[in-house]
Amino acid sequence: MMLSALGVIGAILMAGAAPQSKTRTAPPPPPFQGVYQPQGVDEIGLWKVDDENESKLSNSRAVIHDEALTAYVKNVLCSAVGNDRCNSVRVYIVREPSFNATMSPNGTMRVFSGLLLRVRSEAELAAVLGHEFGHFERRHTLERFKAQRRGTDLLSWAAVLSSFNNNPYARRSFDDLELSVYGSLLRFNRDNEREADLVGLGYLNVSALRPQAAARVWQNLMAETEASAVAKGMKRPRFDRVAYFASHPPEGERAAYLGALALPEAADRPDGADRYRQAMGPWTPVFLKDQIGLNDFGGSEYLINSLASDGWTSTLWFHRGELFRARGGQRDLVHAADFYSQAIALDPLYADAYRGLGLAMIKTARPTEGRAALARYLELKPEADDRAMIELTTASLN
Amino acid sequence: MKTLMGLGAAALLAMACAPSAAGQERTAVKQGFDLRSQSGKRVLVFKPKVSVGSQSTGAMFEPNAEWTEQAKRNIEAALTEHQASLGNTVVEAPDASGEKALLVEEYVNLFDAVSQAVVNYQFFVGNRLPTKKRDNKTGVFEWSLGEGVRDLPGADTADYALFIYNKDAYGSTGRKLLQIAALLGPGIAVKSGEHKGAAGLVDLRTGDLLWLNADFAMGGDVREADGAQKRVRQLLEGFPGSVADQQTASAQ
Repeated sequence: MMLSALGVIGAILMAGAAPQSKTRTAPPPPPFQGVYQPQGVDEIGLWKVDDENESKLSNSRAVIHDEALTAYVKNVLCSAVGNDRCNSVRVYIVREPSFNATMSPNGTMRVFSGLLLRVRSEAELAAVLGHEFGHFERRHTLERFKAQRRGTDLLSWAAVLSSFNNNPYARRSFDDLELSVYGSLLRFNRDNEREADLVGLGYLNVSALRPQAAARVWQNLMAETEASAVAKGMKRPRFDRVAYFASHPPEGERAAYLGALALPEAADRPDGADRYRQAMGPWTPVFLKDQIGLNDFGGSEYLINSLASDGWTSTLWFHRGELFRARGGQRDLVHAADFYSQAIALDPLYADAYRGLGLAMIKTARPTEGRAALARYLELKPEADDRAMIELTTASLN
Repeated sequence: MKTLMGLGAAALLAMACAPSAAGQERTAVKQGFDLRSQSGKRVLVFKPKVSVGSQSTGAMFEPNAEWTEQAKRNIEAALTEHQASLGNTVVEAPDASGEKALLVEEYVNLFDAVSQAVVNYQFFVGNRLPTKKRDNKTGVFEWSLGEGVRDLPGADTADYALFIYNKDAYGSTGRKLLQIAALLGPGIAVKSGEHKGAAGLVDLRTGDLLWLNADFAMGGDVREADGAQKRVRQLLEGFPGSVADQQTASAQ
């Protein structure tokens, strides 16, 4: 498995030097073999633990129990991997604002809401979900479990045997061995990721969706990471190097090989961006609120701006206002008041936008307008949770 | 995208050669709580958390589905028998769905968190919270899950809820060989196997934790019926109303 994945990377690198069409793209998936059952003590044991975790998950409040949203995401998975394969998967949408999805041995797929906020089309979502399905189909969790066990077994023996003598060289060679065992385990994980990328792209190439979307996911993530680092005043991140502890290949490498593996003829296929936007419509405000709670100004601003590339909506203006008001500098508050006003211009009944506007204005020496905006807020939302607090704020202005 | 398996290898190695911890066990009863033997109480039991497997040479837990299933059945049977001998009736918690199932999951997790806090911050010297420092068996065993327990499915049909946690990892052949080599060679004590358990009794009207027993070095092979009976006796050692408890109580 590891060798084949390495072979593919080698092939891509070589293909860059000598361009040729057919062999460069990801191979189509093999015919469906039927749902597999766990085999052997290790795998059956892992499935058992996973079954229990899944029953906990299904009863967890961290999961968004919304049938329509879950069914939509499941359908996107099915459109990538085909109905036969996707029948062995149960999808759970986890309300967690980071960019992630996981697939565990028994077919439990967890899709984080942060992923749904970041991808822009069905094709991009399908690329990530197809990758996760690749982990499942190639039984990567079991492989990693076994690799980890082999590594820790070896290190335990080495630790005991090297402590037989007090020679400092024995100590040092144990340290070297430890580094090399962990290094190879981590490299093994990265090769798993590359293999899953390859499998996922193979699905996308034979689907009705645009496979070029896979590279886009990583390009967008790099741009967001960069925006986040710049806003924090940190050094620009490097996307081309492998850190020792990295669990995944560098984003730059992934974007490059995924772009190269995509079927060129498929570049004008639909990517389902409109359908995606429509399905996420009711959820975008929820996910944006969670994102703003992360206190990552640069990343959130990048996300809002990229969502606005399809046109600014009252929701986007409002959340941009919330983002700036949360950072709270005087200039931020002036901007925030402007953004809330834009939201109100598009939707004059947007109660929370009046709230934000009022609070921002009070802090920027416009108490009269601020009080009027807060009064409008309470008028539009008489049952507001924070009514007492708002009334106290306006009363203190007199 | 991350899969389930994180890299816990570093932590596992650290455990692999750490000197073995001494057996740790503690029991406490809420002050003023008294459950007479044969008082015919109804005890609601939530699905015991049981996991059984092996311990690899490098101390990784290797889950074993067959052992886990077997142990679950054995423990449940032994539990019913044990409670009957105290004159209590075990009521199996009804299978919940929807909102009720979310609630059960939350309370099982809450019990785990609270019992962990008791073990960490009251049972053992060194980590005790200032407010839990006096004789923890009488004055200050005061912990509660809150009155919300009344809404748990089945709560209206029983007096107490019993939560049980049990984890067994039997040392593999490789682990045992490592243990021997470490002992004979450099004289390092390597622990083979891990047998942890905790059981707690909660008042279904107030949510108060009435009794807790935690034991991190238990006996009894839960894969066998006899062993499971021994395990359940240990898990429920000091359970209010049991004879052994009255003996220890009078000894203090």
